[in-house]
Amino acid sequence: MRSAAWLFALAPLLAGDVFAQEGGGEPPAGGEGDAAGADAPKDEGEWFAVVGGDVYTGTGAVLRGATVLARGGVIREIGHEVEIPEDAKRLDATGLSVYPGLVALNVRGVANRLGAGDYADSFDPYSQNLVLALAAGITTVSEGSVALKLKRGEVKGVVMRERFLSTLGYSTSAPRSKGELDEKFAAAAAYLRRYRDWEEQKKTNKELKEPPARGVDPSIRAILENRTLARFNATTRTDLLGIARLAQKHKFRPVIEGAVEAWTVADELGRAGAYAVVVPRSRRDKSEELVRPGGSSIENAAILHKSGVQVAIQASSTFIDLGGIAGRDILHLPIEAGFAVRGGLPEQAALEGITIVPARILGVDHRVGSLEVGKDCDLILLDGDLLHYQSLVQYTVVDGKLVYEKDKELYYAHIRPRPSTQPADAPEARRDKGEEEVKASDSEGEDKPEDKPEEKPEEKPEEKPSDGASDEG
Amino acid sequence: MRRVARTLARVGRSAALCCAASLSVVSAARAGVELETRSPSPGEPGAPGLALLARKLLIASERGEQVVDHGVLTLRDGRIESIGPREGAAIPAGYVVVDLGEHWLMPGMIDLHSHIGGSGGDINDMVFQTNEGLRVGPTVVPRNDNLLRCLAAGVTTVLYIPGSGTNIGGQGMLIKTGLDTFEELVLRERGSLKIAQGDNPTRWGYGMGRAMMNYHIRSTVRRGLAYAEQHERDAQARPYDPQFDVFRSLAAHETQISTHTQMYQLVLNTITMLKGEFGLDVYIDHGEWRGFLAAELAQRVGVAAICGPREVDWPGGRNGDPDGRVLSCAGEYQRRGLERIGFNTDAPVVPAEELPLQAAASARHGFDTAAMQAVRGLTIIPALVAGVDHSVGSLEPGKHADIVVLSGDPVDPRSAIERVLIQGREVYTRQSGGRPW
Repeated sequence: MRSAAWLFALAPLLAGDVFAQEGGGEPPAGGEGDAAGADAPKDEGEWFAVVGGDVYTGTGAVLRGATVLARGGVIREIGHEVEIPEDAKRLDATGLSVYPGLVALNVRGVANRLGAGDYADSFDPYSQNLVLALAAGITTVSEGSVALKLKRGEVKGVVMRERFLSTLGYSTSAPRSKGELDEKFAAAAAYLRRYRDWEEQKKTNKELKEPPARGVDPSIRAILENRTLARFNATTRTDLLGIARLAQKHKFRPVIEGAVEAWTVADELGRAGAYAVVVPRSRRDKSEELVRPGGSSIENAAILHKSGVQVAIQASSTFIDLGGIAGRDILHLPIEAGFAVRGGLPEQAALEGITIVPARILGVDHRVGSLEVGKDCDLILLDGDLLHYQSLVQYTVVDGKLVYEKDKELYYAHIRPRPSTQPADAPEARRDKGEEEVKASDSEGEDKPEDKPEEKPEEKPEEKPSDGASDEG
Repeated sequence: MRRVARTLARVGRSAALCCAASLSVVSAARAGVELETRSPSPGEPGAPGLALLARKLLIASERGEQVVDHGVLTLRDGRIESIGPREGAAIPAGYVVVDLGEHWLMPGMIDLHSHIGGSGGDINDMVFQTNEGLRVGPTVVPRNDNLLRCLAAGVTTVLYIPGSGTNIGGQGMLIKTGLDTFEELVLRERGSLKIAQGDNPTRWGYGMGRAMMNYHIRSTVRRGLAYAEQHERDAQARPYDPQFDVFRSLAAHETQISTHTQMYQLVLNTITMLKGEFGLDVYIDHGEWRGFLAAELAQRVGVAAICGPREVDWPGGRNGDPDGRVLSCAGEYQRRGLERIGFNTDAPVVPAEELPLQAAASARHGFDTAAMQAVRGLTIIPALVAGVDHSVGSLEPGKHADIVVLSGDPVDPRSAIERVLIQGREVYTRQSGGRPW
């Protein structure tokens, strides 16, 4: 049988140990911005292997019983015949499903509970909300205009990217500013044309002066140069249509939050190459004054997806709601994605809606949002399908370090604890199986063979390290 | 002074709304008479029977078999006739047969804490600390938008109750969500007496505390039961009194007290006073916030718990687990031995269509569903608790044909409702292209 023993001790979470890993006992520097896993030298750092899980890479591929190998916090290899170095830390994922860490947009009070402006300096790496977010599978968030990696016990490299999104308003409620924005885009586009001409002519005429950028809005220029994304908040069909047309006219890809009536103009948004950030459960009654389609629809995400819009899914409320209204806060992000599936969104698109699409919107998709070689080793292990309401995160890994283990933490440990050794079996059955059955299920043949075609004998318990640090007994 | 003026203004406005609501009921009823020309579809009274073939049929009976795989259900005259495996099933001649393929069947869901049966703003007349004589009847608006959303979620019966702004808000009605007229949709007019033991009623008047509130409740119930007894004995000596008449139904166990009660001390009062002292049928409604500490007592004396919409107690705060665990309220009632546990929404505070989510959130956080308890908590348990299990709550012969056709596990948010029948009448069909839920 497969050993499901926890193969190494939980990564030390005490402050001293963590800081020791980071820099020889020095206190954390903080505020290093982009200095994180991806920038670490590729041939240094600790090896970390997640062994034998069903790996949902987030790109569409599912590798049953595969291994994810990382070094220095960066994924080096994903596959079935991965050679694991002797000194690698191992996490046995047998019977578990491995997904990329979730990316939650527009949260509040997770990375920065103080509400102060500077995230690098106000990040609390020990807060309860941080741990709860990790327990919910969230490893990257955006708060304000900052994309943050949820590191536990560390502050270095927390800020992944700042001000990638540039917020604009374009609404019928402020008609004058609509015209002004259109003009700003036109002016910036004209300037960029002049600039490119100048660059060309400069090759022959060194004396030619650079065209003046006076009057050109730098944020609009950045949008047209694809250095930032334009973010709008729009609900109604009219406003959404206006944004779609503006984006088509000036050739930029808008990120539209809210987008409640977007399903009524999905084709126009698709043509604009829009991103939509939707709450599938949004509820808005159709305007009684209009005969055309309107109001909210559970099919919003599905219709947008079908029209080529990239759909990110956001929870109903933006914070960790300790008031406990059932299933609305960011701890229930996969449940929210489930409601999009109810409306017809394919499950793969729902997974992308809480991983790679929000990562793209934040400009951090080169590092997080899917499990691919060269990306940060941020992943979560669940006792079943991510989108099933009973699946709970068992382990969370950030930058190749274990930062959350359900059965060893206070919050969820009492809920369906996993036996210290468990069979590779259907999640439903596993939940109810006791220790005795576990010991009896030695044969691979008894497991769901159609789901486990790739099982490799070398992934079996001889990999147990000699230090034997496990939670057995 | 200002508060008095505001209260009076509120009373005046409510009265005006009440009149408006009554008129709308009358006009809706008239419209219903005209609608009678609609020809009935199979399964309804006056039409041939209907046989539904489905992948999985969730019976949800009080005891006995819970699931039929590859089964067939027949209905006629608005009621269920038979349910069983497809093999060997004899479908009577002349029945219309519909094969639902991979879809599932379940009984229509029941929400025992709902405020969306009507005009909405006029169900919280906070005139007295206890308003036992008020009824929600005059506010019912059939086929209002909120009721129609219930259909898209598979909810076919709701207990439409007054708000909890006072200790006794009035009398709730058990109504069907998808029928056209007032006369049709009433399942039981005296649906419950709505009591709220805290904390919303503290907003009334000067803001009295729990001791005073429970004195008022006790005093009212005692006077009400005295009226019931005297009126039954000698109706001449103690004539009909609209304020207290609901207590005749309570004394006869023909209706129940639904109590908005939460936290240990309030739930304890619910059980000891209303059940223990007065012997009335009562259930915990809107159950949340560590009320489960009274679970053993509730089980011993036969008080059920309907939980939601704060399904989960998070660590910290006055209502969280002092040990810091994330706890499901329903799960803790269950773990401590309570058998009858159901779910409610408090719509529109939480949208009516999210009733199944209450069960999903509970199951996620530790409520055991190995024996289909989550589905039962949405169907047969509320039916039993509200005393309407002879009509609704399960797919059993003789009951109303309130049937939900859906794409899979009813508790899973991913499952979509395909079709809903109420008393054999098709009241909802899934249509793509912007469906609401």
